[in-house]
Amino acid sequence: MTNIEIAGIKRRKATDSIFRYIVYGLTFTCLAVVFIILFYIFEKGITCIDWNMFSKLPKPVGESGGGVLNAIVGSLMIVSVAALIAIPLGVAVGVYLAEKRGKLAADRVSIAIDVLQGVPSIVIGMVVYVWMVKPLGENGFSSLSGSIALAIMMLPPVVKNTEETLVLIPTTIKEAALGLGASEFRMTMKILLPTGIGGIFTGCMLGIARIAGEVAPLLFTAFGNPYLNFNILKPVSTLPHIIFNYGTSPYDDWQRIAWGSSVILVSLILILNFIVKFFESKWKVQF
Amino acid sequence: MEGTILRTENLCAFFGNNQILKNINIDIPEKKVTAFMGPSGCGKTTFLRCINRMHELTPDAHVTGKVRLHYQDVYQMDAMTLRRRVGMVFQRPNPFPTMSIKENVIAGFTLNRIKLKAKEKEEIIQDALSKVALWEEVKDKLDKKATSLSGGQQQRLCLARTVAMKPEVILLDEPTSALDPLSTAKIEDLLYELKGNYTIVIVTHNMQQAARISDVTAFFYLGELLEFDETKKVFTNPKNEKTQNYITGRFG
Amino acid sequence: MEHLKSELDTLRWELSQMFSLVLSQVKKSQEVFIVNNVTLVKEISATEKLVNAKELQIDSRCETVLALFTPVAIDLRFVLSALKINVNLERIADIADGVARMVSHSKVQFDKELMEKVEAKKAFDMVLEMFSCLIESFEKEDTLLARDIFAKDAIVDSITTGSIDITEAYFKTGDSLSQAIPLISIMKMIERMGDHLKNIAEEIIFYSEARVLKHGGKSSEA
Repeated sequence: MTNIEIAGIKRRKATDSIFRYIVYGLTFTCLAVVFIILFYIFEKGITCIDWNMFSKLPKPVGESGGGVLNAIVGSLMIVSVAALIAIPLGVAVGVYLAEKRGKLAADRVSIAIDVLQGVPSIVIGMVVYVWMVKPLGENGFSSLSGSIALAIMMLPPVVKNTEETLVLIPTTIKEAALGLGASEFRMTMKILLPTGIGGIFTGCMLGIARIAGEVAPLLFTAFGNPYLNFNILKPVSTLPHIIFNYGTSPYDDWQRIAWGSSVILVSLILILNFIVKFFESKWKVQF
Repeated sequence: MEGTILRTENLCAFFGNNQILKNINIDIPEKKVTAFMGPSGCGKTTFLRCINRMHELTPDAHVTGKVRLHYQDVYQMDAMTLRRRVGMVFQRPNPFPTMSIKENVIAGFTLNRIKLKAKEKEEIIQDALSKVALWEEVKDKLDKKATSLSGGQQQRLCLARTVAMKPEVILLDEPTSALDPLSTAKIEDLLYELKGNYTIVIVTHNMQQAARISDVTAFFYLGELLEFDETKKVFTNPKNEKTQNYITGRFG
Repeated sequence: MEHLKSELDTLRWELSQMFSLVLSQVKKSQEVFIVNNVTLVKEISATEKLVNAKELQIDSRCETVLALFTPVAIDLRFVLSALKINVNLERIADIADGVARMVSHSKVQFDKELMEKVEAKKAFDMVLEMFSCLIESFEKEDTLLARDIFAKDAIVDSITTGSIDITEAYFKTGDSLSQAIPLISIMKMIERMGDHLKNIAEEIIFYSEARVLKHGGKSSEA
């Protein structure tokens, strides 16, 4: 080899190494940040986790031994109702976008969904406030309006994931179904959706993980409630509410509860993510 | 013509303003194997897909002229009913990935909301899989996912799925081009046996395959039907010079 | 590959039929020549049409197999051999017909003594023996039997070559010149039948062993 070639190879190898180390370094930094946050939360809040947290209602200032049962129930309620609204709607829109890709109308809907994804959550809360809460006056605040706000926020991830999953399904499978005499609807329900269930499920779980931690829109809609409430037409409290309200208060007891709630919330989201990863590989479909 | 099951009259096919097929007039004989051959882009696959109206699924596609199945105009029929009578096997094996082997065989019934009793189901599954020489290989694993089979087996499963619906015509679009030679030979033998009960129309870019298995052969070139005759005549003494050039490998 | 297999089986069966047909023609012509049974002449002539039709049928089938199945290896060699065997068999049948017609046209009765001197019966019998041996070789694909033909053909050649001198010598002492020409012609025809049979043997060895024994490279060992 000539000297030029040797020099060239050395330089390329060096560039390669430098680039590799940069990538490793940045990755490590990212991971380190995540772990530090999680570690800090758990360190602060794990001592606050006891049976009381899960079974008792918040106590007035000064008294110890309160819990966040109302917030846990509230979170579950508001997120489930939001999911019930957003999932069928989101999947349907995702199917539409996947089937009509390239058509003008579908393109416009796609842009609309993208825009919706970018709308700040507090603005969505404001809009739902004006639509649903204000007209009903005093009785406007409710779990249902909170669910609607969260459902609007959950739509984009569900739609996008559904669309992307369905688009990856080879046309030949759809043609096989149509070639047997199936109607488009039957083909969608019996073949398309079952084949894409993995990706659709992922989209839903990611959507839920996203809204579970939102509080801004709920400030205008669900409002908060110190009591246990199962009625969706009444205000309700959620874990993020507790974290926001109690975390910014000057009382030690309440701050403790806020940390405890953070631990619960973060754990829930971590569990959701692990469920997604687990089912993603289990439901992976070979074409 | 006697013994004709499918006839086209001045069939033209378009993708937008692009004309793919020019005035195709052909009589396809019943219970025989008809092969369509020709160089890439000659329109043979498009023509096949016009027969069971799969061509319509492509945006901007439209068709003029007539296609008749037993004298009925195919474009006046309900497309779904038509596709039950005219089945199709595609180039790449495409069993439904979420379904097991036996579910795939009766998928046609499931997708058409035709209810079957358990005994009927079993009979249909065994009959269809036997017809495609797959029964012995899979009878002990009918509940396994269809994608666990090899490529050749998957393609035979797709054939079983079509045959289970007892169609009058089976269309095959280059069914062995994605398979190894042994699987190809198995499928060719199958088609030779099936023609006793079904009309078979096969598109192939492999002329030797057309020669081996078909009774009549059609040669397509640039969207036109240049020759359509008994396979033996086409391969020993074709009437059209372009057919001869194609077969002898002088072009295409 | 069932389709190809069944076509080849049919071809083999048709060749067997051709073998039988031509053998029966040769047997009849032997009777016409050796024992002067001229009633068989018309039979031979009528059957000749069947033989020609069969030749065309076999040719057509070979064409079909080559065009549609592009056979290779032993299948290809078989089809190529079948074509040549077909031609040779047809020639043999032609010659048998020729023998019969020569006897019938010349209206001659060959002297028994002359016939014995030229060993006519022995030559014809040897040809028939070669023919039967060949049919068995074809049915069983037995190339050892096919190789036996070469020695037998040598015997036929030597008999027929000798027959010219013997006939000449006979007619110096005898007086029936009218027998000489037909007799010599027929002996030559017998020799040609033997040659065609030898060609067929070479074809059988070609397709079974892929060895070409034509024009030298001959082996008559077992």
